Amino acid sequence: MYYTILHESAGRLRVRLGLSHMSLREADIVEYALKAGCPAKDVKVYDRTCDAVITFDEKDCRDRILQALADLSIRDDAAIALVPEETGRALSRQYEEKLAAKIIGTVLRRLFLPAVFRTFWCCCKSVRFLGRGLGCLFRRRLQVPVLDAAAIGAAMLTGDFSTASSVMFLLDVGEILEEWTYKKSVGDLARSMSLKVSSAWVREGGEERLVPVSGIREGDLVVLRTSDIIPLDGTVEEGEVSVNQSAMTGESVPVVRTRGGYVYAGTVVEEGECLIRVARASGSGRYDQIVKMIEASEKLKSETETRAFGLADRLVPWSFAGAVITFILTRNIQRALSFLMVDFSCALKLSMPLSVLSAIRDASAYGISVKGGKFLEAAAEADTIVFDKTGTLTYSCPRVEKIICFDGSGEDEDLRFAACLEEHYPHSVARAVVSAAEERGLLHEEEHTKVQYVVAHGISSEIYGKKAVIGSRHFVFEDEGCVVPEGDEAMFAALPEEYSHLYMAVDGRLKAVICISDPVREDAARVIDELHGLCFTKICMMTGDSERVAASVASKLSLDEYHAEVLPEDKAAFIRREREAGRRVIMVGDGINDTPALSEADAGVAISSGASIAKQISDITIASDSLESLVMLRRLSTALMGRINGNYRFIITFNAALIALGLAGILPPASSALLHNGSTILSGVKSMTPLLPAEKQA
Amino acid sequence: MKNWGHLGLFAGGLLFGTAGISILTSEDAKKVYTHCTAAVLRCRDSVMKTVDCVRENCGDIKADADAINEVRTERAKAAELAKARALVAEAEAAEKA
Repeated sequence: MYYTILHESAGRLRVRLGLSHMSLREADIVEYALKAGCPAKDVKVYDRTCDAVITFDEKDCRDRILQALADLSIRDDAAIALVPEETGRALSRQYEEKLAAKIIGTVLRRLFLPAVFRTFWCCCKSVRFLGRGLGCLFRRRLQVPVLDAAAIGAAMLTGDFSTASSVMFLLDVGEILEEWTYKKSVGDLARSMSLKVSSAWVREGGEERLVPVSGIREGDLVVLRTSDIIPLDGTVEEGEVSVNQSAMTGESVPVVRTRGGYVYAGTVVEEGECLIRVARASGSGRYDQIVKMIEASEKLKSETETRAFGLADRLVPWSFAGAVITFILTRNIQRALSFLMVDFSCALKLSMPLSVLSAIRDASAYGISVKGGKFLEAAAEADTIVFDKTGTLTYSCPRVEKIICFDGSGEDEDLRFAACLEEHYPHSVARAVVSAAEERGLLHEEEHTKVQYVVAHGISSEIYGKKAVIGSRHFVFEDEGCVVPEGDEAMFAALPEEYSHLYMAVDGRLKAVICISDPVREDAARVIDELHGLCFTKICMMTGDSERVAASVASKLSLDEYHAEVLPEDKAAFIRREREAGRRVIMVGDGINDTPALSEADAGVAISSGASIAKQISDITIASDSLESLVMLRRLSTALMGRINGNYRFIITFNAALIALGLAGILPPASSALLHNGSTILSGVKSMTPLLPAEKQA
Repeated sequence: MKNWGHLGLFAGGLLFGTAGISILTSEDAKKVYTHCTAAVLRCRDSVMKTVDCVRENCGDIKADADAINEVRTERAKAAELAKARALVAEAEAAEKA
């Protein structure tokens, strides 16, 4: 594509693309193609001006970016395929235009419409607000709409139509922003749900094939196993599964689906195995459908009534009481009305959604994706943080260090066996075994029959008619009753201490112990110290690993508590107990065995390289390269709460001062209205600035 | 005189009630409305385009300003380092002497 460079500075390029006009779709294609095709940190395409702003890190990237720009074509099928069904560009476009129309319309009316018509316009518009206030009174609730209506009504009664219309203008703008925030969070959530799955196992003629989701048609049979994300809507044909729908509904208790039951795309199989018949192929309005389901659920509901509105509601009776007392004392209706004229709710309505939106934006710049404002609140207020060990406090890539063979078997043979079993299991230890087999060039056929997962314990299956189990010591020896082959007891007793052990047995006899090392992350100790400094009073580690390994990890970190050899239910139960004791808990985890705990916690944080089920269920996802994001998350959320409370205090005191000055007769109503509106817009603008000082961003 | 005024109003009302309404609802008038609406929408688009343009230019200015400040801090750091080196060298010289 032809382009010209409009501006260039270190690490940033602004180019004009060689198009006279750009549709929203085309802008998306360019944005996604550039993001995928060049080493840029961020790409932003402005569709109205046909400009693209590209920021990048290293200096040698520049040529590659320019090459990618030159190679770009908006008719390229590969580029088109990168763009998801719904990108959110249309939504921001819609609300930007709504806001612009509102502002331009108001300015034009102020400038050109004769006073009489303005008054008429104001009366017409006030009907909606007055009606809402009356409706609220009718339900016997003294809330913000009543105060809004009173402010507008009072202003109109005193003949001050310009104040009435500016109050209505600010309320309208606040409403548009609030709606925008809500739609955006729903949209982001739906997009993250509709994007997660790329392929699924389809059963055709008794054989299973891995098929990309876009290639699955209506009526196909899809096999689902424990921890799979359901790729498409469908009905269960065979088997029984418990489905965790918390990503969609916020409800952490899984629902059981048997033959004939309907399962939704984007939800997760927590346990069991089943065959579903696809009811709806991908692309056929799936995004809209997910949006509808999220809106119908409780997941984001509490957010629309943000805490600020609760605070505002509490003040309403005081405003009215003030007006009544003033009237009784002075017998002057004008003065009493001046109490109602200063309407603080529009300031709150404006600044709160802006604060939350900009906090979520700031967070994403640090590689943290937050699924809603209320989770930031939870992250700010939490005093307890629970870490999973594997993949969270340790590197997410454990390695197979040693294979100790029993019963006269060979290393390669054992590893091939283990990889064959572990292949389907989304856990970091399982991945280590599979990649170790790949490194040694060990290929395997699907030799086993149906695979059974026992969460946090292991896997059992049948190979050549023999029962094969792999998993923890407890699972293999106590649950499955396997034995150490006679003569090998000495070797068994001398297993190296410093590794985690994975036991594999075939036909009731121990075949191999796979030694896995999983070093603690370099930054873990520092991050935990920093978290202590950020007012976390209890930092725990929970792991399914043995006491021995847990103790050696805990000795390197300044933890308050650690619990070893716990089951997933125990993790969730621990969190429930803590919450019942009045603590607010953050859970950090990455695996399928953390999911009950993640949905139980006030805020569940998943590591982005972890199992997709964990990411699906969590409320916050952090980038995998460093735990530092947790510190950042805490700082950001505390700063957000500080800003919200600061805004609240500022708005209340400033407007209270205006009321007082108005009552004393020092400030004429016109300047009080000007100051009120000015402060409202100021607090709105201030809410959009970055939360943390710039030097911390580096 | 007063009667003439009334008569004028009456005539005006008559004219508006017959010809005026039909003109305001005519096809030609509708064309005018359509064009006016189109003009308003174009106006809005151009305003939004200007807003975007200003936003982009603000981004340019911010990027350049950041670059300037970075150079300044680098320079200040270098100066500090040179000063410290000089101090160390001085101290070493004093020690030798």
